[in-house]
Amino acid sequence: MTSAHPVAIVVTSSTPLWYTTRATGLVALVLLTAAMAAGLLSSVRFEHRSWPRFVTLGLHRNLSLLALAFTVLHILTTVLDTFVSIPLQDAVVPFIGTYRPFWLGLGAIAFDLMLALIVTSLMRARMGLRSWRLVHWTAYACWPIAVVHGLGTGTDTPVRWVLALTAACVLVVVVLTLWRLALSWPQRPGWATTGLVLVVLAVVAGGAWLRAGPLAPNWSARAGTHSSQSRAASSTSAGASK
Amino acid sequence: MNLAAHRKHYGPVPLLAAGSDALITEVERAGLTGRGGATFSTGRKLRAVATANAGRGARVVVANGSESEPASSKDAVLLARSPHLVLDGIQLCAAAVGASRGYLCLGSRSPAARSVREAFAERDRAGLGGVPIEVVDAAADGYLAGQETALVSLLNGGRAVPAFVPPRPSDRGVRRQPTLVLNVETLAQVALIARYGATWFRSVGADDAPGSALVTVTGGVSRPGVREIPLGTPLGEVLRRSGLAAPAQAVLTGGYFGTWLPLPDAFRVPMSAPGLRAAGATFGAGVLAVLPASSCGLAETARVAGYLASQIADQCGPCRNGMPALAEAMNWIAFGRPDADIIGWARQLTGLITGRGACHLPDGAAVLARSALAVFSADLRAHATAGPCGRAQVAATLPIPPRSHR
Amino acid sequence: MSELPAHQPADPVHELELRVNPIACDAHGVCIELLPELITADPWGYPVIRPGPVPLRLLALARRAVADCPTLALLLAERQEGRQQPDRSRARRQG
Repeated sequence: MTSAHPVAIVVTSSTPLWYTTRATGLVALVLLTAAMAAGLLSSVRFEHRSWPRFVTLGLHRNLSLLALAFTVLHILTTVLDTFVSIPLQDAVVPFIGTYRPFWLGLGAIAFDLMLALIVTSLMRARMGLRSWRLVHWTAYACWPIAVVHGLGTGTDTPVRWVLALTAACVLVVVVLTLWRLALSWPQRPGWATTGLVLVVLAVVAGGAWLRAGPLAPNWSARAGTHSSQSRAASSTSAGASK
Repeated sequence: MNLAAHRKHYGPVPLLAAGSDALITEVERAGLTGRGGATFSTGRKLRAVATANAGRGARVVVANGSESEPASSKDAVLLARSPHLVLDGIQLCAAAVGASRGYLCLGSRSPAARSVREAFAERDRAGLGGVPIEVVDAAADGYLAGQETALVSLLNGGRAVPAFVPPRPSDRGVRRQPTLVLNVETLAQVALIARYGATWFRSVGADDAPGSALVTVTGGVSRPGVREIPLGTPLGEVLRRSGLAAPAQAVLTGGYFGTWLPLPDAFRVPMSAPGLRAAGATFGAGVLAVLPASSCGLAETARVAGYLASQIADQCGPCRNGMPALAEAMNWIAFGRPDADIIGWARQLTGLITGRGACHLPDGAAVLARSALAVFSADLRAHATAGPCGRAQVAATLPIPPRSHR
Repeated sequence: MSELPAHQPADPVHELELRVNPIACDAHGVCIELLPELITADPWGYPVIRPGPVPLRLLALARRAVADCPTLALLLAERQEGRQQPDRSRARRQG
């Protein structure tokens, strides 16, 4: 049974790898958010006497690399954790897994996009600005996909501080994206309006999904967790049998 | 001149063995330089296009007859009078560089367009072969349409705006093929050199500027128009032949990107690229626009500066910001009461916009403005103390095309 | 403009200079921040590059500025022989 109190799930699970997976996942999300924020700050040409442009650019680069590093750790601990079988290919090929295939698959997509973003940025001078820019637009997809992956796959989603942290990340990116859109309004009002509509839709749809999905009862099963994969089920049944 | 008269007057076009560089060598020996304004060595250009890509692959010849310089009409006159000479030049260059097709870009002057159409028809009827040449109307695209990379961009289906160089059109131009872009007068000269040789070409003109050139004389002369002159002819002689009328104070050489020279001092300057360069001016498109004493040089310059500012491609920051500012400053100087600040700002702007764009439109405007401030310094002082002179309201000497597109 | 310290030999074969592609340049100003020794801002925020070769001691910084330009407008190119300033006579259009 999976409707145990969230605190019980946290208390009764005991795998260090599982803890690390969740922790690195959250940290990766925060770092990805920070990298995204730095990128957006750069695109709106933010600068201040004590904060020159190259600081933003440097932060964007380093935070992206850190986010990638933590994502790799997150993937490794997930793969090494034998409680649920998630082979390495599930990290790069989406939707082929057996554990919450759709929501995990989103993580694979986000990871693939992250790889593309970082590799193309390292090769930017060689590939030319136009191709680089085309790939870099996918950052606007990569980040929300990572967020939804976290909310959908993560077992900590109902936990209050996790929810608050995720909400803070979303707030930062939404505000900066709106700033970015506002800047392009004079030259390209069409694009700006489309962007605004998309942001609003995404937030509304995301919130609705959150309420009906991960925050509603029985999400684990609805997300595609088999009872054998559920730690809460195994631990409570183990506890009950003791 | 129709085909029959053309053949009678000039003789037959010499046959070139495919792949031989006899023509290129001859043009190099002749020392022909571009007649479109850049005065770049034509032989070098031919060789660059011929040898690009190690000689492999298709290439293109573009005849630039767009003549977007408002004060110039030599290309239109040449195309109207001797279109076959230009077409011969295109075919000869195409054979020399191994081009598979050509383009002839025309301005909007209708006499030339009709003459060119008839010339093509005559050549078809006479069964004259050669590469296919497509006629392109470059008229509607403004002052920059004549710029080499802008023309290539137009032929590639884009806007007629300059591109960043490298790559040069001789390396990669129309459809990414090595492209030879030559002014129509240059092509006509090539057609003559092919027939009569480099020695003949060098028999007129000066040692450092061989051959002849077409110049457009306009403004305060009684017989304005296009003249063919041996290079090195003194400027005063050219003006005299054009009927220098009432007292003239200055002459604009080169074009709207050119330089004012005071008269009568400039009478002695030889009409050639090195001669004018020594006098601090440029040969440019061979324009001589005479400013009568009854006009105001600063006003004319301000009007031209305003026109040039309306013709920018809007791609480069320094030009986009600096050109309108310069036009406004010149306007103030010509039609207002300039103080030292605005004059200093105008000078500063000329420095700021020079060499910082993808093309040399701002450079030309800077040169024009600086020379105006120097040559018309007496007027400048008068304007500063007493405001605009009455001569500023006189009908404009320098033609300004109506502002349309862009 | 040879500001090489006495102990560093000048490279006679490959002199590099900074150029900006003015069409790609969008006045982000990163290069002006990173290499103020060679690049200053005009009244509108666009880069003005000091003419001449890049001194050896600044080459690494120049490469960084080139890599960090948001629009890849800053370039490091081999200095062409004998070309001190943009050749004005090459200016003109019309072929």
